[in-house]
Amino acid sequence: MQKKLPYICPSCTAPLRVQGLVCLQCETQVTGSFPLPELAQLTEEEQQFILEFVKSSGSLKLMAAQLKLSYPSVRNLLDDIIEKLKANSPRD
Amino acid sequence: MKPFLFNPFNRIAGARALLLGWLLILLTAIIAFFSHCHFDGALDAHAGQKGAWWLYLAEPFLAWGSTVLVFYGTGLLVAGPQTRFVDIAGTMALSRWPKIFVALLFLIPVSVPQRASDVGLPLIAFGLSALVFSIWMIALMYHAYTVSCHVKGTKAVVSFILALVIAELISKSAFYFFYTSIIHP
Repeated sequence: MQKKLPYICPSCTAPLRVQGLVCLQCETQVTGSFPLPELAQLTEEEQQFILEFVKSSGSLKLMAAQLKLSYPSVRNLLDDIIEKLKANSPRD
Repeated sequence: MKPFLFNPFNRIAGARALLLGWLLILLTAIIAFFSHCHFDGALDAHAGQKGAWWLYLAEPFLAWGSTVLVFYGTGLLVAGPQTRFVDIAGTMALSRWPKIFVALLFLIPVSVPQRASDVGLPLIAFGLSALVFSIWMIALMYHAYTVSCHVKGTKAVVSFILALVIAELISKSAFYFFYTSIIHP
């Protein structure tokens, strides 16, 4: 069963942070407070879109053919993801 | 089926939509030739005198062209330079396909009343049917605009209404010039 990485708190919908990492090789544990990578804060569908976008060498035309969507629809999906990433990115 | 009837533009836009839209406009023009239906505005359809065959071909394309110019300009203003002309042109062409049914409606012989009291049920039914198909076309045009320009919410609705009104005004002016300069100089 493939597990999904949660990124939103199920209780208050605030963004989740990583508090612990573990090495399965030597059982070293790392604890702290780390923000989730920006890409991990996207939904599974959005992450899949980004992966397909990279695999298509950034060609929206190719993506449209693969997803059987129109070119403006694919561009709109990308624009929505860009807006979401901008909103989630940490402020300098 | 429902998305295809009201918003096929998630699947088809650009040059493919333009080609298909033009074919459907051509079909509309052919039917209009036999039904003497004149598409003399961005949204309009009226009964008229029989004219030359090329008039029935020019009218729907002129109506489409004025719509495209206005909505492309609106898209550039509202959404920015990423608005593609071919997307607006194609989706707006495809959105006009319900006009086929309007052209077919005009094949039904309905007498034009001389007085208001002569307006009967057949004419009312005719008018309502034409109105339904026109509203369907406007709904398609709205989705064509929002998908091609990626505009949402209140901004989309307000800019669409304004652009539609301007397109109608410009098309009427264009048709007036067309009729007075070319048809009846």
